[in-house]
Amino acid sequence: MNELMLVARREIVTQVRSRTFVIGLLVSAVLVAALAFAPKLFGGPDSYTLGVVNSQRLPVTAPQGATVEWRTYPDEAAARKALLDGDADAVVVNGSKVLSEGELDERLGVLLQVANREMKLDAQGVRVPPLQTEAVRADARYDAARGGMATTLTFLLFFTLVGQMMMVAMGVVEEKGSRIVEILLSSMKPWQLLGGKIAGLGVVGLINLVVIVCGGLGAATVSGLVVDFPPGMTGIVVGVLVWFLLGYVFYATLAAALASLVSRQEEVGSVMNPLMMALMGTYFVAFFAANEPNGTLAAVLSWVPPFSAMVMPVRMAATEIPLWEVAGSAAVMALAVAGALALGATVYRRAVLRTGARLKIRQVLSQR
Amino acid sequence: MLELSDLRKRFAGGPDAPDGKVALDGISFAVQPGEMFGFVGANGAGKTTTMRIVMGVLEADSGSVAWKGRPLEHADRRRFGYMPEERGLYQKMSVAEQVEYFGRLHGLGPSAARKATADLLERLGLTERRGDAVQALSLGNQQRVQLAVALVHDPELLVLDEPFSGLDPIAVDALVAVLQERCRGGVPVIFSSHQLELVERLCDSVGIVSSGRMVAAGTVAGLRSAEGGTLRVVVRDPAPGWADGLPGTVTVAGDRHELRAVDADDQEILRRALKAGRVEYFGVEQPTLTDIFKEAVA
Ligand SMILES: Nc1ncnc2c1ncn2[C@@H]1O[C@H](COP(=O)(O)OP(=O)(O)OP(=O)(O)O)[C@@H](O)[C@H]1O
Ligand SMILES: [Mg+2]
Repeated sequence: MNELMLVARREIVTQVRSRTFVIGLLVSAVLVAALAFAPKLFGGPDSYTLGVVNSQRLPVTAPQGATVEWRTYPDEAAARKALLDGDADAVVVNGSKVLSEGELDERLGVLLQVANREMKLDAQGVRVPPLQTEAVRADARYDAARGGMATTLTFLLFFTLVGQMMMVAMGVVEEKGSRIVEILLSSMKPWQLLGGKIAGLGVVGLINLVVIVCGGLGAATVSGLVVDFPPGMTGIVVGVLVWFLLGYVFYATLAAALASLVSRQEEVGSVMNPLMMALMGTYFVAFFAANEPNGTLAAVLSWVPPFSAMVMPVRMAATEIPLWEVAGSAAVMALAVAGALALGATVYRRAVLRTGARLKIRQVLSQR
Repeated sequence: MLELSDLRKRFAGGPDAPDGKVALDGISFAVQPGEMFGFVGANGAGKTTTMRIVMGVLEADSGSVAWKGRPLEHADRRRFGYMPEERGLYQKMSVAEQVEYFGRLHGLGPSAARKATADLLERLGLTERRGDAVQALSLGNQQRVQLAVALVHDPELLVLDEPFSGLDPIAVDALVAVLQERCRGGVPVIFSSHQLELVERLCDSVGIVSSGRMVAAGTVAGLRSAEGGTLRVVVRDPAPGWADGLPGTVTVAGDRHELRAVDADDQEILRRALKAGRVEYFGVEQPTLTDIFKEAVA
């Protein structure tokens, strides 16, 4: 156990001190933080500047969080110039037409049409009481935030899983190819070396996730997005970390096993292909689940390892999932992880000292 | 004491050698505490294979390795020091960290590992490079780091595969000093080498392998006496045909005739030589390890 800890510690120290790690972490944290400000930046303009030429100002009700400012222009020519200069978003001329620079902003168009109709009806003494809106599902107001969170999480989990999985694979080949493994394995058992490497790089992955998630949540607090976050965020975050670990151990163990079949860094890519495909598949399914968390496909695949490793946490973020379902599918995934560990450790133990030509997995498994 | 008995190993053959390749064909020898054992043999003779089996990197098909009278176990190997034939280090890790790490892996505590590392780097002339990444070092210096890795935990047995290759004379001396010191402390040392003069100078005993078999083993002196010396006589300007009927071979350089003979009646040769001319040299020359090696492998 002591050796395993030493191996893990070396992995963590080596990674955390490397410039690539620090820079990569900062960049991802900044990106995720930027996402927290994105609704502000890309959610349409916060204010409209509207103009009139020879007509009344329309009773436009500004959408939530936006403001409307009115200007008056002496004639149509002045209005056109203002539009081209970008001084106004739209100008109402003679109470009958609307000018805009390019195509009229869709939302603004609807607002103007509604206001125009309301004004005309009003003039005839017709009062139209606005429709009251009410969402039936209690937590519906979190839908937008949850969808964003789930999508972000899909990327985050995928990139962290791929990154750490490749780290494990390259580390295994580094040790095998340079024969350090001959010295290492004369002082410890293969499972200790493998376990230490997986544990160490898993911790590095966790550090990554925690920093990025904290960065995102912090930025959301600053940007005010946090008010849209559903209750039980802690549960979601913890769930994500646990699911990451399950998925990571699964993929990393198999990656180590596959990597132990080759002796040169150049061969890592091709030997990892099947696993990469599986992870990509998982990613696509999870992406789909982020958009349709209650669809049948998402519901079924959140029980099927290794898809569940990403689908379940993404669904947890996207919608409310009963605890028993989460626990049940985690148990199934844990079984798959145990299977991967048994298989991976066997392949690794038999293959890692056999340097030279690339080994075939069947040949390794059929060996006595 | 380390004892190898009847180790056999056959490698699976490729398409060109369907029967496989016999690497070890019954290797047996023992190394006593405090003994320096030189392992020599032609390329492909089986030295590396033997050492890898001792270190558990490879499994023998049959035969056994015993340590202190009991079958060698994994836990024992943790206290061995090993330098593999193909050197392996973490290229991006610094020298000191690397040596310290291996010290820890072999059971040293943090401060003991730090101290042992500092001492060893000092002795191997690496103190200035302690903070450098291994990949920034020259090959010979990487080799010294590799040695430090094998030595850091004060091993109970040293198994070194060609430890001297690639070292400059200063480094060779430094390594020799370290090895002799460990040996005096009772540690058995096995090393393979193609530098036979060095083996002859350092080793208490040698083993010569050829095609997976131990063809000669014992102390250097013992091997020599088994081999017997070569009688060498130099006669100046002798009468023609002076050596007719004598054993051995005569080479002529100017007026100097040199006769070399093995297992001959030296007194008879001396009498004939004195009669033939002026004897400039008469003596029995001990075979060098190179002579013994060539003889044994032939
Ligand atoms: N992994 C392997 N697969 C197949 N054959 C091997 C393997 N390793 C060694 N051999 C064969 O076993 C024999 C002994 O090799 P070994 O490396 O032990 O020789 P050596 O005495 O160390 O030689 P050198 O002085 O060149 O290092 C050689 O014929 C070699 O081709
Ligand atoms: Mg060799």
